[in-house]
Amino acid sequence: MKILAGAAGLCLVFVFVWERVDIVRVGYQVERLKVEKVRLERERDQLRVKFSTLSAPDRIAKVATERLGMTPPQNGQVIVVQARPTGVPSPQAVPVQVRVASNQLFDGRR
Amino acid sequence: MFRLVTLQVLQAAELTIKADRQHQKTVSLEGARGAIVDRHEKVLAMNMEVPSVFGVPTALESPAQTARSLSPVLRVRTDELERKLRQDRGFVWLARKLDPEQGRRLEHLPKEGIGVVMEGRRFYPKGPLLSHVLGFAGMDGEGLEGIERRYESDLRGERRVTILQRDALGRTVFPKGLTAEQSPAPGHQLVLTIDEVIQYIVEKELEAAVTRTHAKSGMAIVLEPSSGALLALAVNPRFDPNSLSTLEPSRWRNRALTDAYEPGSTMKAILAAAAIEERVMKPNTLIYGEQGRMAVANTVIHDHEKLGWVSFAQVIQKSSNIGAAKVGMELGEQRLHRYLQAFGFGQRTEIDLPGETGGLLKVPREWSRRTLASMSMGQEIGVTPIQMVAAVSAIANGGVLMKPYIVSEIRDAQGNVTKQVLPHVKRRVISPETARTVTQILEGVVTDGTGGKAAIEGFRVAGKTGTAQKIDPRTGTYSASQFVSSFVGYAPADNPKLAMIVIIDEPHGEAWGGAVAAPVFNRIGEQVLNYLGVSSHEPVRLAMASSRS
Repeated sequence: MKILAGAAGLCLVFVFVWERVDIVRVGYQVERLKVEKVRLERERDQLRVKFSTLSAPDRIAKVATERLGMTPPQNGQVIVVQARPTGVPSPQAVPVQVRVASNQLFDGRR
Repeated sequence: MFRLVTLQVLQAAELTIKADRQHQKTVSLEGARGAIVDRHEKVLAMNMEVPSVFGVPTALESPAQTARSLSPVLRVRTDELERKLRQDRGFVWLARKLDPEQGRRLEHLPKEGIGVVMEGRRFYPKGPLLSHVLGFAGMDGEGLEGIERRYESDLRGERRVTILQRDALGRTVFPKGLTAEQSPAPGHQLVLTIDEVIQYIVEKELEAAVTRTHAKSGMAIVLEPSSGALLALAVNPRFDPNSLSTLEPSRWRNRALTDAYEPGSTMKAILAAAAIEERVMKPNTLIYGEQGRMAVANTVIHDHEKLGWVSFAQVIQKSSNIGAAKVGMELGEQRLHRYLQAFGFGQRTEIDLPGETGGLLKVPREWSRRTLASMSMGQEIGVTPIQMVAAVSAIANGGVLMKPYIVSEIRDAQGNVTKQVLPHVKRRVISPETARTVTQILEGVVTDGTGGKAAIEGFRVAGKTGTAQKIDPRTGTYSASQFVSSFVGYAPADNPKLAMIVIIDEPHGEAWGGAVAAPVFNRIGEQVLNYLGVSSHEPVRLAMASSRS
């Protein structure tokens, strides 16, 4: 009986020690994951800043005009057409806005 | 056994405190500063963690060698680094908030006596775009100018002191480590009413005009008349908030809000609204132009054109000073003052940006015998650009004065809206009928008057030119060579989508508002209406376009 009680006590001690060790192990694992999370968040923020910098309107305009040879649309080259979807006579139907780019000016100039 | 009792019982409290000191670390943490985005969620300002480098001089064997290896990476002079590293101190900052690229290069350097900590650095990815509105945050992350300052309490992350559990190697250990609940909350995100594309168009055209006219500076504001929401606000010259060290303080000031100027003839738009609302004038009321010269209170008022009998509408369209002075006299001091106040002059618009001034509007008892005539043509009154565009927006908005605003929404870190700003009506200043009549007169300014160069093909434009002489600080009188050229207006006149003011300060050469500022209005207006997808009023033109495309 005494041996049994001793073994049970020993088991309890082992369980307690194992639990403490495992808590510390999981703690380190959590910390590693936290560090990884911080690294990924940092990388995300860096990419977000980079994306915002690269998509700045003045940069896009510069690339479009200087590298791609584009020019800002002149008056008459962009036409905005408000149209309702066909077959939907309801006045509640949301008008569709279409922007049409033309490379030809109305007076025939290019 | 005795030792056990001593340690566990007698010295328990004292030893527990000692142990805690060894494996606990108290740290002060701060949540990341909130981002600022435009109305389409485009990032205008955000925080990023970047490395800061410190030295521990007492732990260094060769400060000179360390300084030499660090200098090219930190971009700090070797002798300066060496001087810092030779100090008899346990901690010294060597370089703070480096670029991410510098941070990567740091990984290859010796670590002895050198430490790296991550700190939040404010980035403005669009560079100088919207700089006068955004302002900037300082080295310690506190908002110093602009929106960064005005919304400091919202943007700033939570500050919290917390205790971390650490092991023998100094690593943080669960369970007393930092939990999600303990982490300081990041600051809130601001959503602006600004549209970065419109802002870009405005800054580009303003800069071109300032360069072209060799002007001292320029300002332009675009707002939505129906709500008072700011779409763009530009001041030229600009500055880059990413390069604080190169900034001159005078360049930071948002002069569109802080500096009052004499508006000159743009004030005649307000005068017209007051005269028609009070039924003092009708568009066709005849006024004699005195052939371009009229004496008022021992002074002489001149017109740039010798006019005889002209209608009230023509007085505004041709920008006659004499006609405006006569209309002012018909209105009288009290009524003119009342309308100027009603339109918001002499008081702050209460826009949510710091540093706004109320301009200068004297009360009638302080007026001289000339003041009534002067104010009618925009002299002896100081207004800020934001006041003027807000006042003219009231005409565009059917007579209702809106409060201008720039932050439309505040969100917490999870994206929940904590505050939504709705358009705020300040008051009705004129009736819808008066607003329509004044709009017709102001359309005449563009079709038949001084503002022809503001006309936008395919759209009805209403507006008023202004050419104000500046006060010469040496003589205290009006300068013959220094002018403020301006144009304020809105389009499309029949359903205004934008109201805009353009001010060019001290242009060289031709200085008329119609020649200097009106073309800028035209170029900005054309591009912005196109960008906003506002339909042209010319149906024939659209039919032609459809058949070709």
